[in-house]
Amino acid sequence: MGEVTHKSSKPLQVNPIKLSQPMGATLAFLGVDGCMPLMHGGQGCTSLTKVYYTRHFSEPIAIQTSAVTDAIAVLDGGDYSIVESVKNITRKVSPSLIGLYTTGLPETKGDDIRAVATKVDYPLVYANTPDYEGGLESGWAATCKALIDQLVEPAEKVNDNKLVLLPNVSLQPIEVEKIKDLIEGFGFNVLALPDLSTSLDGHLGEKQASLSSGGISVDEIRGLADAGLVVSVGDSMQACAVALQKKNPHIRHQHFSHLQGLEASDELIEILLAETGFTRPHPGVIRWRKRLQDAMLDSHFSLGQTRFLVAAEPDQLAGICQSLYEAGGKVTVAISPVDSPQLNKVRAEKVLVGDLEDAERLADDFDLVVGNFHCEALAHRLHKGLVLRGFPIWEQVGNQLKNDLLYEGGAYFLFECANAATLMREHQAS
Amino acid sequence: MSSKPKIKDLLDESSCEHNKVKKVACNAPTPGATTGGCAFEGAQISLFPYADAAHLVHGPMTCIASSWETRATRTRWNGRDFTQMGFTTDISLNDVVFSGEEKLTSAIDYILQHYAPEAVFVYSTCVTALIGDDLDLICKQAMGKYGVPVIPVHAPGFVGGKNLGSRLGGEAALRHLIGSKEPERTTPFDINLIGEYNVTGDMWQYSHLLDELGIRVLSTLSGDGRVADIRTAHRARLNVIVCAKSLISLTRKMEDQYGIPSVSLSFYGKRDTSNGLLSIAEALGDEQLIERTKRLIAREEKKLEEKLEPYRKVFAGKKTVLNTGGNKSWSIASALQDLGFEVVGTAVKKATEDDREKARQYLGEGGVLMMNPGAEQAQLIDERGAHLLLAGGRSLYTAIKKGIAFADVNQEKKKSYGGYDGLLNMAEDLKNALENPVFKLVARRAPWEK
Repeated sequence: MGEVTHKSSKPLQVNPIKLSQPMGATLAFLGVDGCMPLMHGGQGCTSLTKVYYTRHFSEPIAIQTSAVTDAIAVLDGGDYSIVESVKNITRKVSPSLIGLYTTGLPETKGDDIRAVATKVDYPLVYANTPDYEGGLESGWAATCKALIDQLVEPAEKVNDNKLVLLPNVSLQPIEVEKIKDLIEGFGFNVLALPDLSTSLDGHLGEKQASLSSGGISVDEIRGLADAGLVVSVGDSMQACAVALQKKNPHIRHQHFSHLQGLEASDELIEILLAETGFTRPHPGVIRWRKRLQDAMLDSHFSLGQTRFLVAAEPDQLAGICQSLYEAGGKVTVAISPVDSPQLNKVRAEKVLVGDLEDAERLADDFDLVVGNFHCEALAHRLHKGLVLRGFPIWEQVGNQLKNDLLYEGGAYFLFECANAATLMREHQAS
Repeated sequence: MSSKPKIKDLLDESSCEHNKVKKVACNAPTPGATTGGCAFEGAQISLFPYADAAHLVHGPMTCIASSWETRATRTRWNGRDFTQMGFTTDISLNDVVFSGEEKLTSAIDYILQHYAPEAVFVYSTCVTALIGDDLDLICKQAMGKYGVPVIPVHAPGFVGGKNLGSRLGGEAALRHLIGSKEPERTTPFDINLIGEYNVTGDMWQYSHLLDELGIRVLSTLSGDGRVADIRTAHRARLNVIVCAKSLISLTRKMEDQYGIPSVSLSFYGKRDTSNGLLSIAEALGDEQLIERTKRLIAREEKKLEEKLEPYRKVFAGKKTVLNTGGNKSWSIASALQDLGFEVVGTAVKKATEDDREKARQYLGEGGVLMMNPGAEQAQLIDERGAHLLLAGGRSLYTAIKKGIAFADVNQEKKKSYGGYDGLLNMAEDLKNALENPVFKLVARRAPWEK
């Protein structure tokens, strides 16, 4: 592993890739069926976040705001805004759950949302997610932990066939589904928390939903503590697994930093074989492993001569860099918006917490960029290749169905990167 | 005196039609039942298009993370395009507790040293307004140090909606920029374009026509704008407000302070574009200019008609239902009629009295003004046999159920619909929508449901 810089020395962010905790919390609550995410703060935070995800997923996004104004900010401790919000939401729709979470504004004035929550006579889970701390990953993880802490009923016995999957925020809906499918192939009954694979997977419903239209149900969350095994994917999710074990100490925990590339996929299969006593996975899995091996060989020539900049949330960063490394891609610069223990494990020459201005400063060090929509302008100006990943991707449709994980997704990912690198070299030569 | 504008005064704008009728007792949004952006977003919308100025957001991450590079405000500025960059102090818990002023000062230093913009706009946000960081002082000090305008924009999100924020943006320009520099020369036909943000190049659809007429755009707020130009805006002969009610306060104050009259118009569709050009000429009051303008309008309309001919054949006899809000309820209707569509209904739920009146004029007695479009539009499509629904994404399901074509009026446009030429872009998009089999095909029953 290369040199890691855990903190930016600049007094500002220029062309940030960093996202906020409430934005992560929004997504997490959208992975609960029939939920209404309620962001506690000024109306703009909600409006901007709604538009942001609507454009990324090309789907309507259910969300409401407590619409704190300057006067309310001074006079109210959150009681009025939140209680009123719940009243007004439930007047129109009947959510299975109200997902309450904060922004910087109420946290600055010191609202005690935990106390307010006790005054609300409606199923509600609250999470503290100020946007002056953490980022997308931690907002999602804090919300997932709040769902566990506040909803899951303690248990003493376990059902060995039941498995809880804790995906990190960067996993797109289809990726969550692919992990679930693979594990179900070993005979498990899998529940993902949160589960975007059935809510934001881009399916045509019967009508426009005003609440989240899929995901894990509130009852399913309540009953999670009798699972035999919890599998966390991404270092940001480890604390959630621990929280679940507190509900039932008999639940065993398996952790994966990510599930990208041959090694990580093998590791998951190995553990599932050991857990179940199976000798082989489903034949389709075996076939896809062979295809990934072939994909690695087919793409190695292009990838081997390409220097990459990868900009992503820490958990995704680790996965992408590993996947590229395995086929010879040289990740010269890896940029994370926030610090994480994950950064020490990222396979890159240089790992730093920073923004796209830092990427520009290091422009001589890379040929191809893997990152979000904001990297487009950078790639264009600096004549670099581009593969779009992460949040947001606004100019491309089908983001929710992009799968980079496990044997199958890994093969597609390597092909996409190798082809983008070849195309880039052709452009540069002409 | 504080440079902070008085919010109450801005909310009570005497030039607003509705304030003459009745006083709005309370502008507070309803918790749990509010949509729409905040004042910060509104201020950003009105000032961000200055591509030669850096825009620094003093606040936590949500404000800029979710909003930078979201608006296609085109510019011909040949330096680094700051409209497509995001600058933020990204304040931390430490800043919240001990003040973010030091960080803000360093951030402004950093920008001026590394990017040398023509100006820096510094936006306060809810959190930094609440902790009381002194933007005015810091901006003043930086301005003294670097000799470049550093402008505090006091539009934290929690003071109100987008509309108010745009006013506050205009207010910042008025207090800190307008009148601070003399133009090199003036002409009798100098105008300011206020509220034209040149999204997808809308302004360029008609600016060459103004050039041809000898009307000079002295400055804009703020499409393809330059800081140096807006500083000279007080010497214009006319303020032209383009589709932006929110900036009426600014133009009224400019009339009070500098005696500049204003006209309000839109460049959407053929008739509005023609009327707009003519009303500028008439407001400037030069007989020859008016004659020239009439000739230009005749020429452009003829040219457009020729190009529209093939589309008219496709659109003849086609009926549309329009479900949008505000001035779009009539301006898009007017453009649709220009293209040869029959607009059988338009939503006026989110429109002002003024807008409703205009919608009635355009649609005539036979048209339906929908007060509850969510429920009414499906019925209207059936009753009148509409072929096309123009609405927000929410209504897609209605179109699919009815098996008719759909066009998303809120979708981020890639190309301009403004001016005469923009109408051709719109015609092409609507033709594509009408010809697309997708709306009928996706409604097919699955084999296992037959």
